[in-house]
Amino acid sequence: MSDMVCKKCGTSWIVPKKLKSILSKARSSQPERYNELLSLCPKCRPQAFGERTIGKDLKKVPRSWRIPRRRVEERKPVKVDPRSGATVYQSQCYICNSGCDALVFEKDGKVIKVEGDPSSPITKGTLCCKGLASKEQLYHKDRILYPMKRIGQRGEGRWQRISWDEALDTAAGRFKEIEKKFGPDSIVLATGTKRGTWVDYVMRFANAWRKQWTSTGWAQCAIPRLSAGGMVLGGPAAECPDFSKTTCILVWGANPPNNWPHQAVHLMDAWSRGVPMIVVDPELRETSSKADIWLQLRPGTDAALGLGFINVIISEGLYDKEFVEKWCIGFDELKARAGEYDLDRVEKITWVPKAKIREAARLYATSKPACMMHSVGIEQNADTISSCLTTVMLPALTGNLDIPGGNLYPMFQGMRGRDDLDYTLKHTITPEREKNILGSTQYPLLSSNECVLYPTAHNSTLWKTMLDGKPYPMKGIYIHGTHLAVNVANTQQVTAALRGLEFIVVVDILMNPTAELADILLPAATWLERDEVACHIQASYNAIQIGQAVVRQGECRSNYAIMNDLAKRLGVENMFPPESDEPFFDFMLGKTGLTWKILKEKGGHTFPDVFKKYEKNGFNTPSKKVELANSKMKRLGVDPLPIHREPSESPISTPELAKDYPLIITTGGRLSMYRHSEGRNIEILRELMPHPLMSIHPATAQGLGILDGDEVVVETPRGSMEAWANLTEGIHPGVVQLPSHWSGMNNVNLVMDNERCAPLIGSTQLRCQLCRVKRKK
Amino acid sequence: MNRTVKKMLVVLDCCVGCHACEIACRQEHDLTHETGSKWCRVMTVKPRRVRDELHLDYFPTLCVHCDDPLCLKSCPVEAITKREDGLVLVNGQKCNGCRLCISACPYGAMSFNEVTKAAGKCDFCLGRVEYGIEPSCVQHCLGGALRYVSPEELNEVTKGKHTAFFEKVCYASSQWKLVL
Repeated sequence: MSDMVCKKCGTSWIVPKKLKSILSKARSSQPERYNELLSLCPKCRPQAFGERTIGKDLKKVPRSWRIPRRRVEERKPVKVDPRSGATVYQSQCYICNSGCDALVFEKDGKVIKVEGDPSSPITKGTLCCKGLASKEQLYHKDRILYPMKRIGQRGEGRWQRISWDEALDTAAGRFKEIEKKFGPDSIVLATGTKRGTWVDYVMRFANAWRKQWTSTGWAQCAIPRLSAGGMVLGGPAAECPDFSKTTCILVWGANPPNNWPHQAVHLMDAWSRGVPMIVVDPELRETSSKADIWLQLRPGTDAALGLGFINVIISEGLYDKEFVEKWCIGFDELKARAGEYDLDRVEKITWVPKAKIREAARLYATSKPACMMHSVGIEQNADTISSCLTTVMLPALTGNLDIPGGNLYPMFQGMRGRDDLDYTLKHTITPEREKNILGSTQYPLLSSNECVLYPTAHNSTLWKTMLDGKPYPMKGIYIHGTHLAVNVANTQQVTAALRGLEFIVVVDILMNPTAELADILLPAATWLERDEVACHIQASYNAIQIGQAVVRQGECRSNYAIMNDLAKRLGVENMFPPESDEPFFDFMLGKTGLTWKILKEKGGHTFPDVFKKYEKNGFNTPSKKVELANSKMKRLGVDPLPIHREPSESPISTPELAKDYPLIITTGGRLSMYRHSEGRNIEILRELMPHPLMSIHPATAQGLGILDGDEVVVETPRGSMEAWANLTEGIHPGVVQLPSHWSGMNNVNLVMDNERCAPLIGSTQLRCQLCRVKRKK
Repeated sequence: MNRTVKKMLVVLDCCVGCHACEIACRQEHDLTHETGSKWCRVMTVKPRRVRDELHLDYFPTLCVHCDDPLCLKSCPVEAITKREDGLVLVNGQKCNGCRLCISACPYGAMSFNEVTKAAGKCDFCLGRVEYGIEPSCVQHCLGGALRYVSPEELNEVTKGKHTAFFEKVCYASSQWKLVL
C-alpha cells in the first residue's frame, strides 16, 4: 500500500494491491502505460486492462473473441488468378462512396467476378453485398449504352440512338442558345453522392462555365457535419474515428454495416475485442442491436442530447482539463450554454432516461482513447448545425483529437482534394455570381463563399425558381449522376419543375424515371469501366486509392471525358483535354510526387501515420485553437453555440397538427442492399428486400388494426405514400420509420416537406415530421 | 490429399445482418437470380424482450455438414457423399433433380438450381480452399461472424462460450444458450 498523488486532479489516493497485480502483468509489454496508469487516481484513470473505473451498474460486457478475427493475408497482388485463369485488376469499388479496395476478375473481355482485396488494410478483405453484385449492374439490361435523343414527348420513353458528336454538339448548342436568351444563370448543373473524385469535378466544370450547381444531398448530408467540424475543429476529424486502438465507441446517427461497410469492419473488430459501444439511434437496428448502451431518442432532438452529454462532461469535471486549457477557446461560453440543459430538461425533450444519458456520457468521457462516429442521422432535423456542433465538440472536450484510438485528422500530404482552390476554382466566384447563387443570403454556410467547401444552390429554392421564374428564369439543367425524381423531398414539386424546363441533359448508368425526362441521354461508365484516383475521408484518412477500367460496355465514357468534351464544345476554359483522364489525375497528384502511372503500378499509396499534428501549427481555425464558440458564426452574426430547436412539426411545437397526425415520421434508415436510389433493379439484391418496410411498434399497429406485412398508407399534410408494415418492438410507439429512395407510390419523398429548412444550411427536416398511418383498403 | 482440417466457426454475436455472405456465395458459385438458389442465408430474429431487455439478432445459416446426413440417405442416385474429412458434397453431374434431399434436410441448406436442374449446397468453397484462400463468405463477412479456423483455435476461442458443435461447423455465442 502506498500513497500516490494523482497527476491529473491532484488528489492523493491509495494504490490497491489488486490493481498493482493487474497492472504489473502488463508492465513488461507497455511500461509507459503502466506508469501512467499508476499515477492517476481511479476517477481520472482511463479504463484499461479489463479494469473498469466507473459505471458499476453498466451492463457487463461478456463478449471478447480472442483470436484476431481476420487474418489479412499478405497476398501479393496476383496478376492472373490461378483458379480461373482470369486477369485480376486492383481497383476501388464505387457502388457507394465508401471506396473499398476491390479485385476485379476479367476473362475473355468479361468481368466474371468482383471480390474484396485481402491485402487491403482499409477493408481487411471484405466487400459489402452491393459491391459484390457490381457485375450485375455492369451487365444490366437497363444500361444506357449509347448517346440518345428523345423523339417522343417528354417522359414518353421513345429514344433514338445518336453519335457522341451529335449528342454533345446538340447539348452545347442548346445550352448556348438558352444562355443567350435567358441569361447566364438560366442553366444549372446537378449531381449526387460522391463516387470518387468526379463529383467534385462537376463543381469545377460549373465554376469554369460560370454556372451554379446543386448537389442533391449536400444540405442534408455531409455539409452540416463538415461545416461544424471546420468551424470548431478546423478539419474533418470527427469523420475519421480510429477504431483500431480505441477503448470506447460512440456512434451517433449512423449505421455503418449498412452504409459504410469498411468502417463497420473496424468497428466490429473493436466491438468483438470487448470495447464498449454507445449508440444513439431511434430504432433498434444493425448497430444499435450491438450497443452496450442504446440511447433511443426522439427523432430530431440530437442537439439536446448532445448538450446533455456536454453538461455531464463539464459539470462532473470529466473533460480533459489540460487539453481544454491549452487548446480550446470559448469553454466558459459553452459551459454556460450546457448548464441550461440539465438532464431533467434533456430527458423531457429527448425521451431518453437521464440515468442512461449520464451513464453514457460518463463512459465516453472517462474512457481514453475513445472515438466518436456521427453520420447523416443528425443532419436532417430542425437545426442541423447545432446537432453537428455538439457531436464534433465531444472529441475536443475529452481530449480525443488526433490521438491513436481517437478521432483523426486526415493526412493526404499534397494530394489535391475538394478544399483545394486550384482544383475547385472557388476563388473565381465573384461577389456578383455569389449573390445570384440560390440561397446565398438565407443559407450562407451552404450557398455562399462561406461554405466549408464550395457554394451549392439550395435545393428547394431551386425547384421554386424553376417553377415561378423568380428571381431569374431557369430553363436548362445538366444532371450528372443523380436521381432527382426520387432523391429529394417533395417529389411532386421536383418533377413538375423538371418537366417545365426547356432542355435537360442526363448522364447516367441505368435508365430511371429521371433519365426518362431527358432531351439528351449520355451513357456514363460504371466503376468497372473507368479509371479513378481518389483520396477522401470516406475511404481512409491517409491513403490514395485508384480505380481501373477493366471492360467497356457499349459507348459509355468516363465522367471526366464527358464533361471535358462538353466543355470544349461550349468554349469553357480551365478544363482538361477529353481524350485522356491521365493529365487530370497527374494534376490531382501534383504535389505528392506521384503520378498516375506510378500509382497504377503500385495499386495505391498510403501515407505514414502522424498524430497530434496540431502541436506543430495549431488547428486550422482563425485562432489556431479548437473554437468551442466559433468565430465564423460570430462573424455571421448568429449564436455560435449549439441550441435545441424543436422540429417545425412535432407533438410539442404543433400540438394541433399532432391531433390529426399523431405519429412522428423519421425517414432514411439505410438498407445494406441498396445505396440511396440505386440497386433496386438488381435482382439478387432486390430478393433480399422486395419492398419498403415501415417500422412500427406492435402496440401502435394493433390500435390501427395493422398486422405484420400489411400494406399501409402513410399520410401527411402534403400527400400520401404506400409501404408495408414491419412490426418491431425496437421503435418507440409514437414513431414510425420509413426507408427512403423507393420510387413510384412507395417514395417517401412524396410526403416530405421541403419548405421549412434548417437555418444557415438549409437542410430539409427528413427525420422529424408528423404523419398518420392506416391500413390500405 | 483432399483433406480440409479447418472448421467453420459462426459467432452469432458478431453478425450484423449485412447479407454480404449471401451475395459473396452467389457470386462465387454463379448462383444467379435465374437459378433461384441460395447456399448461405442470413435470418433476422426480430426485436424481442428477454429479461426486460430488447434483443435483435442475426443468424447466418449454411450447411452444417451433419455427422449423419439425411440428404445423403435420401438420395436415390448416390450423388451425395460424405468425405473422410467430414465434408458432405453434392455431385451435380450425378444428380437427377428428384429434390428428395431438399425435403430431407432439416436445416434448409439444400437448394435446387433451376438452371442446371440439380441440387446444390455449401461446400465450404472447396475450390478456393484448395488454393489456400478462405471461403468467400468468410472473407467478405463485415462483422467477423464467419471464421474459418483450425480445430485448436476453435477450442481456444470458444472456451467459456455457449456452443453448438457439428463435425465441421460450430455455432457460438456469448449471449444465448444454443440448443441443438
